[in-house]
Amino acid sequence: MTLPLETLKERAAGDALLARFALDFDCALLIGDGDTDWLVRITRGEVVQVTKGPFIMPKTDLRLRAASDTWSKFLAPVPPPGYHDLLALRRFRRIQIEGDIQLMSAYLFYLKRLFALLRA
Amino acid sequence: MTAVREPVAGYYLNLDLLGRPHRVYVEEAGQGIPLLCLHTAGSDTRQYRGVMNDPDITRDFRVISFDMPWHGKSSPPAGWQTEEYRLTSADYARMVLEMCDALALEMPVAMGCSIGGRIALVLAMRHAARFRAIIGLQSGASIDPYYELTWFHHPQVHGGEACAAYVSGLMAPTSPDADRWETLWHYMQGGPGVFKGDLYFYRGADGDIRDRLGAIDTRVCPLYLLTGEYDYSVSPEDTRAAADRIKGVKFSVMPKLGHFPMSENPALFLQYLRPVLDEIRSARSAAF
Repeated sequence: MTLPLETLKERAAGDALLARFALDFDCALLIGDGDTDWLVRITRGEVVQVTKGPFIMPKTDLRLRAASDTWSKFLAPVPPPGYHDLLALRRFRRIQIEGDIQLMSAYLFYLKRLFALLRA
Repeated sequence: MTAVREPVAGYYLNLDLLGRPHRVYVEEAGQGIPLLCLHTAGSDTRQYRGVMNDPDITRDFRVISFDMPWHGKSSPPAGWQTEEYRLTSADYARMVLEMCDALALEMPVAMGCSIGGRIALVLAMRHAARFRAIIGLQSGASIDPYYELTWFHHPQVHGGEACAAYVSGLMAPTSPDADRWETLWHYMQGGPGVFKGDLYFYRGADGDIRDRLGAIDTRVCPLYLLTGEYDYSVSPEDTRAAADRIKGVKFSVMPKLGHFPMSENPALFLQYLRPVLDEIRSARSAAF
């Protein structure tokens, strides 16, 4: 487990860039960090709840899963090429992205910022 | 507050492109050897603002860029409302040559990025004698698809924001915030379906040109390939794979840059570009 998701709610609160792309965003986002799952509930653009799994058949809109080692490189202040962005991870098949891809596409800036907020 | 006018001039050119009347927006700066700059898919001439404002370059080069039809301030041709825009390799190459003719460019240097970097390879392959030198930025001979194009033109997804968000990670994390976000703004301003139509270029008949790269003769026209290390759409490995098939090509990786070198960090990109242009200029002097 690498991602500091237990602090995500605080990191997201009041972030201007996240707010810029938050319009009407509702999402049950599952984040997989190695063997550990987290469920992030976003309501009208606000991160309202972050829960650590395991979960039994949770209802989710989007599921993003990667190995802890991958997330570790992603979290570097200046990540190496190929680890610096969610889609960079996708390009090199280091992340599994499943669910409502339309929703992801509509709110991709928000999602990228949410993960970037986990750095440092 | 001081207002500073940039030494960049813009104008419109009315001409036939691909057999149809067009009104095309062109920007220029400097004088000397024509340097025709081709923007990326879904963007426009503003990407080359750093090159156009560099006195070290404009002293010896007439830097020219045009908004492709459907992009920036160039409108689509009349009748666009019943068409689906789809760029092809053949149309793109023909358009570049027709612009060179219309602007009476004598043996220009062509420099293109992304789809412009791909067309640079096609120009080197098929029209080398028309150019003094060709520079491909983020050039690849094939593309490994890793996303779905659907969302770049869909009524329930904001096209501008989706296009920008999909390309945002292609830039180096160390590039300045202001330049990265300006680059993204250009994407957010793209017309509906235009970025998607540009990318058709990669999936059409000329989507994979790896087997034809051997036809490039760099003795006829020198070819330079420069690729930013953070680009994962056309990675340094992708460009290297293409370069390995081209005898005499000059390939280099640009550390701390990504897919939009001229736009995401103009100051750093110019450090890589100036020596290339110096070499091209010197070769010309020697020849004459």
